[in-house]
Amino acid sequence: MTEPVFRETAAEPRTQSVPLAHLSVELGHLYMEDFEAGPERLRAHFAEVRPWVEAARTAATARAGGKRPRISTCFLIDDYFTRFSTPAEVVPMLLAEAERAGLTVDYLARESGCAVTGKVPVAEAVAARIVESPPPGSYGLRPPAAQTGWLANGERSPVARAPQAMKRAAPWQPPHETAARRHSVFLDVELWSDDADGQRLWSCPFLAAVWQLARLGLLRNEGEAVLAPQPHTAGGFPDKWDELPTLLKLNERADPFAAYRTCSVLPTRFLPVEHAVRVILDQIEVDPGALAQVADRSGKERMAVPDSVADRISYVYYSGP
Amino acid sequence: MAPRQSTPPAVLACGEIRTCLLPARQALDIRSAAQLLGLRADERVLLSERPGLYARSPETLTGVDCPLPSANGARVRAVGTVTAHAALTEGRVLQTSAYCRVPGTGPDQRRPWGEYLVRPGVVEPLGKLPHEAVAQGVLGGPRHGDLDVGLIADGLLTRVLRHPLLDQRPPFRSRPTRLRWAALPAAPGEGPSLERFTLAEDELRTVRLRVPEGTTGAELAALCDDLALHDWLLTTVVRMLDGLRLGAGAAQDAGTVVRTLRPAVDHLLHLWMPGARVGRELAALWDPLEERPGFTRQWQALVQRIRDQLTLHAIPAAHREVEPAP
Repeated sequence: MTEPVFRETAAEPRTQSVPLAHLSVELGHLYMEDFEAGPERLRAHFAEVRPWVEAARTAATARAGGKRPRISTCFLIDDYFTRFSTPAEVVPMLLAEAERAGLTVDYLARESGCAVTGKVPVAEAVAARIVESPPPGSYGLRPPAAQTGWLANGERSPVARAPQAMKRAAPWQPPHETAARRHSVFLDVELWSDDADGQRLWSCPFLAAVWQLARLGLLRNEGEAVLAPQPHTAGGFPDKWDELPTLLKLNERADPFAAYRTCSVLPTRFLPVEHAVRVILDQIEVDPGALAQVADRSGKERMAVPDSVADRISYVYYSGP
Repeated sequence: MAPRQSTPPAVLACGEIRTCLLPARQALDIRSAAQLLGLRADERVLLSERPGLYARSPETLTGVDCPLPSANGARVRAVGTVTAHAALTEGRVLQTSAYCRVPGTGPDQRRPWGEYLVRPGVVEPLGKLPHEAVAQGVLGGPRHGDLDVGLIADGLLTRVLRHPLLDQRPPFRSRPTRLRWAALPAAPGEGPSLERFTLAEDELRTVRLRVPEGTTGAELAALCDDLALHDWLLTTVVRMLDGLRLGAGAAQDAGTVVRTLRPAVDHLLHLWMPGARVGRELAALWDPLEERPGFTRQWQALVQRIRDQLTLHAIPAAHREVEPAP
């Protein structure tokens, strides 16, 4: 096939590529209540996390066929749902506690960066990429549920109507999980809520799904990479969260932030949120260009990457607060 | 871990296209076209200026899980996504196009949904696909409950037509057309061919193709979008002339003729460029249509007729005492 003589760049799709590690390990989330519980909470958390990070590293080495795997670590701080303290106070404490446990935080992210980064409305763009799993019988009519701000892993119970006089009420019908094996585990996830002023608040599972896509190197805006890590150049940390880059590279020698797979080490209380994350990721059509780049490069490295995006993420849950 | 290449090659591709006049007094410039077709905040509208203004929206997906239409009554269930896009030619002719590819075999059970989403535009049968019967079923029109890609093209058209940029005042009256297509594999070693182009009732056209393995859904959709666009142009201009009582001789006719034919000159005559946005190999499928009935031949005759009529009516009535027969 010969190359065409005439080309128009605006008429062709393009997708920026991002560097990719083998594994992105999340060392934890920090919420206000964790911070308020004092440095002891973080100390206990990192002590629990440490052996699992080792285990993840061992597993990644085995997958890489014994070669040194490229692994980066990251930590997410919530500055979206509640604003607490300042980066100048929180970040050094966090890093000190990680170091005490023998862990290195390569990248630090702010949760609000998963909602909006710079001028890019990341969460809104991801929401527009939801392609709902069709229940059997979907033949082309668009499911009307797309606008309600909820996403389920199956069909909801029919709405019960008030019974008319002399008529029996319709019996309750169960919801149904589309991928059920005999019995359903039905989950309905709230993606966002709008307040009285029309201000949209993204839900924790939805932002966590965006966070996973960022870590998998699958987020793009008009073909450009979103949430690119910024180097940490200044000596200290700012007094305002907004002055901290949404994704900060703390370790100069770190492997790339994005990776073929992710692993998150979290306390068990995150389990419902992360179940919801899987339900969301299973219904997002990610940028095909980004997906092709990952497939291409992992193929060249002979690293198997699961087809389904939701299968690229993994978790370790430890019991604890 | 199953690699992505595990999907067997498609043995059937099918789609449906809606073509209509953009309901706006002014043709849209390229920037407005980008706004109209910006179906997704994070994806660019593809814009092209050679050999004419053309804008195409990002692809959108719709999930389906239903029986495929078939001529022999086999109800093969299939699951996957149908791709759809909208396109605007010269800011004037709006098209929505939905299509999918269907592999020859699929798993016995529905897979997890995320595995379908990494193969956009593929609808996978459960079990084996009777592709000849399904192609015939697609072209014949789906029964209620069967996969209906036309509904998806309709849904996207409705969505685009609601855009506030459109004042809903088209410059002339016209009717939308539908083009339904199905492509089957060509015999080994054979190039692509156009087996049949049918003008059916109700503004419906059907196209049956044979293509070599490896022809993508996007290439096929580009060809069929192009066929649909030009067929709509012919249909619309033929109808414009059809309604005119030429040569009737009444003095007020002149005004009517000019009023009716002028929109063709303003909005349509410069749009005729068959094959301009089609890959080289598939563009050759225009040839049989050019030979018989001769799409471009008919178009040129229509254009000539419109120009003659306008020239004739530009001559002051006093010199036109003897009206020529049409």
